[in-house]
Amino acid sequence: MARKDFLDIVSLERSEIIQLLDQAEPFKDLFTRSVKKVPALKGKTVLMLFYEASTRTLSSFEVAAKRLSADVTIFDVPHSSVTKGESVRDTIDTLQAMRADYIVVRHRLSGQPAAIARQTNASVINAGDGAHAHPTQALLDAFTLREVYPEMEGRKVLIMGDVLHSRVARSTSTILTKLGVEVAFCGPGSLVPQTRFRRFTNYDEALRWGPDAVYLLRVQKERQEASFYPSDREYHAVFGITEERLKRLSDEGVYVMHPGPVNRGVELCDGVLDYERCLISQQVENGIAARMSVLYGLKPQLS
Amino acid sequence: MNLFLQGGKVATEDAAPHRADVWIVDGTIQSVAVMDAPAGARVIDCTDQVIMPGMFDAHVHFREPGQEHKETIYDGAESAINGGITGVVMMPNTAPSIDSPAMVQRVLELGKKCRIPVHTSACITVDRAGHEMAPIAGLKEAGILMLTDDGDAVPNAALLRRAMEYGREFGMFFASHCEDPQLCGPRALNEGPVSYRLGIQGTPALAEEICMDRDIRLAHATGARLHIQHVSSAIGMETIRWWRDERGAQVSGEVSPHHLMFADEDIGDYDTHYKMNPPLRTREDNAALLQGLKDGVFRIIATDHAPHTEFEKSQAFVEAPNGISGLDTALVSLHDRFIAKGEFGWDLLVKRYSAEPRRMMELEVAEVAEGKPADLLVFDPKKETTFTKDFMKSKSSNTPFLDKTLKGSVEMVVLGKEILLER
Repeated sequence: MARKDFLDIVSLERSEIIQLLDQAEPFKDLFTRSVKKVPALKGKTVLMLFYEASTRTLSSFEVAAKRLSADVTIFDVPHSSVTKGESVRDTIDTLQAMRADYIVVRHRLSGQPAAIARQTNASVINAGDGAHAHPTQALLDAFTLREVYPEMEGRKVLIMGDVLHSRVARSTSTILTKLGVEVAFCGPGSLVPQTRFRRFTNYDEALRWGPDAVYLLRVQKERQEASFYPSDREYHAVFGITEERLKRLSDEGVYVMHPGPVNRGVELCDGVLDYERCLISQQVENGIAARMSVLYGLKPQLS
Repeated sequence: MNLFLQGGKVATEDAAPHRADVWIVDGTIQSVAVMDAPAGARVIDCTDQVIMPGMFDAHVHFREPGQEHKETIYDGAESAINGGITGVVMMPNTAPSIDSPAMVQRVLELGKKCRIPVHTSACITVDRAGHEMAPIAGLKEAGILMLTDDGDAVPNAALLRRAMEYGREFGMFFASHCEDPQLCGPRALNEGPVSYRLGIQGTPALAEEICMDRDIRLAHATGARLHIQHVSSAIGMETIRWWRDERGAQVSGEVSPHHLMFADEDIGDYDTHYKMNPPLRTREDNAALLQGLKDGVFRIIATDHAPHTEFEKSQAFVEAPNGISGLDTALVSLHDRFIAKGEFGWDLLVKRYSAEPRRMMELEVAEVAEGKPADLLVFDPKKETTFTKDFMKSKSSNTPFLDKTLKGSVEMVVLGKEILLER
């Protein structure tokens, strides 16, 4: 894979995805050893440029880069010239002069990482942009699902919640589709747009479709405030995984996934986190391996 | 001045171009007929070329005062000339807005320094803010041609109604940018599969349809004359048709070249050259709008010339400003996409982009006819134009046609005693 950047899933070939997944496996094996590092990116600089707060994804990338022996710099956006009104373009020119090999970007605006990628010779990794894409999340989701279903072809995954505003829904549905998994969306009618995917606005109907895994999206507080649904309480009752629904998932052997952080009492009840087929912790662990695989696979174009 | 345009065809608004030579002396057309070159005349070979009246663009943003880094009135007018356009109406969303007689006088003064007539519209509401009525009688007195809050709809239907009732007395002509302010969202692109793929909240066509219906109803109820600017959707077009044909409403419509030619899928990977407002919609809308133009639902073609700098357009898609620079490219692109392909004829172009906009603004219609003042252009359908930054006279080059080569070339523009352009 001779790509410079990792910006979205749409532009990846199926073979590239499989290569990235295969490549993540030996990295994951490292984690159980006493020395968890390999020298693959020794002498390289990875710069974290997070315009949007995210402790989890930032830490995951940081650990991934360090386990590859890279030097990691966290560009402190909240205390930087950005707050003085510097444009992204001018910030990138500055960073370009620092000769970072990899820039990991998170931004609230869809398309910003791609714009940065066009401007710099460093490899740009999209760590989430607006409602557009979150490709490393998609990769770790696929990796996690592949661990429980080595033959993914023909499996069914139901993505539940705020699909409209979710970059995770977009990237994860795309990667799963490319791997032969059947995807459907379910959620309130105001939050599930018409797409090429099967669309449910009723939880029971969606379960009758027979998913092998239910992928819950985080429900953001501001959606309720903007009246996409009336209250968290009603959301939980109609679209959340309640204790009752959890029992049914358990009876049918359905796995549960979630990109985190979870909202207890909204998209899921407490019991889900103790559920034996809950894959949330594996997702976090696999996130590091998947991100190592991405960093390892890219080719910066620095002279 | 003694000019003889020899061997060309003359285009009019109601017939296919006919073979005729055009002889101009001191700014007046002496004759339009097949004849020998008069002694002493400068002869221009126009073989296989089309001679037509100068175009008129009733919707341009010249950015002055306030945003002269994007465009000035002078550069905007030069850009018009470069595209064969010999008259324009400016929109009032400058900074400050054109909402007072003093501002109207100021921009018209600047307009007088240009080589073509530069007219202006003014705001319906003070500072286009939608709260209080602008001084309509004073604006009319100062010489505006039209009232519009272009860039936004008047959000308050009661205020728009009152302005229409009040403005009638002064024979005011209203124009509406139709978009429901709540439904339209952040206004970056059309709502649909493309907005989903790119992860940006889209503007549904519904926002235009609903507002258009509201404004036409208000105009119909108050007896105001209303023009709907830059229609982007099929149902929007049908709304005008219905009100005009079924209810006899005094409403006209406008379509821009980009809404006829481009769709949201052209945005591809966040190409901000395709970001404008109202947004580009779908190929089906393109086809419906073209049909609306052929059927006469759209009284005029206008570019909505909206210059922005390269830096501004290089921002992330959501943050880059809406708009496309249109005057340099309009005529050639309409030729390339439609006339050269037989979609419509020169007569439609002359009618919708020269004659009707001037009639709508109650200005004298430009004609290539004996005894008329010279206001014409020579177009070579076989030559090609490459729209490089150097070629374009606008200060900005935010157009999808940048560095593209299209069929057709504006070879000469004559206005009164001046040859404004000779390539």
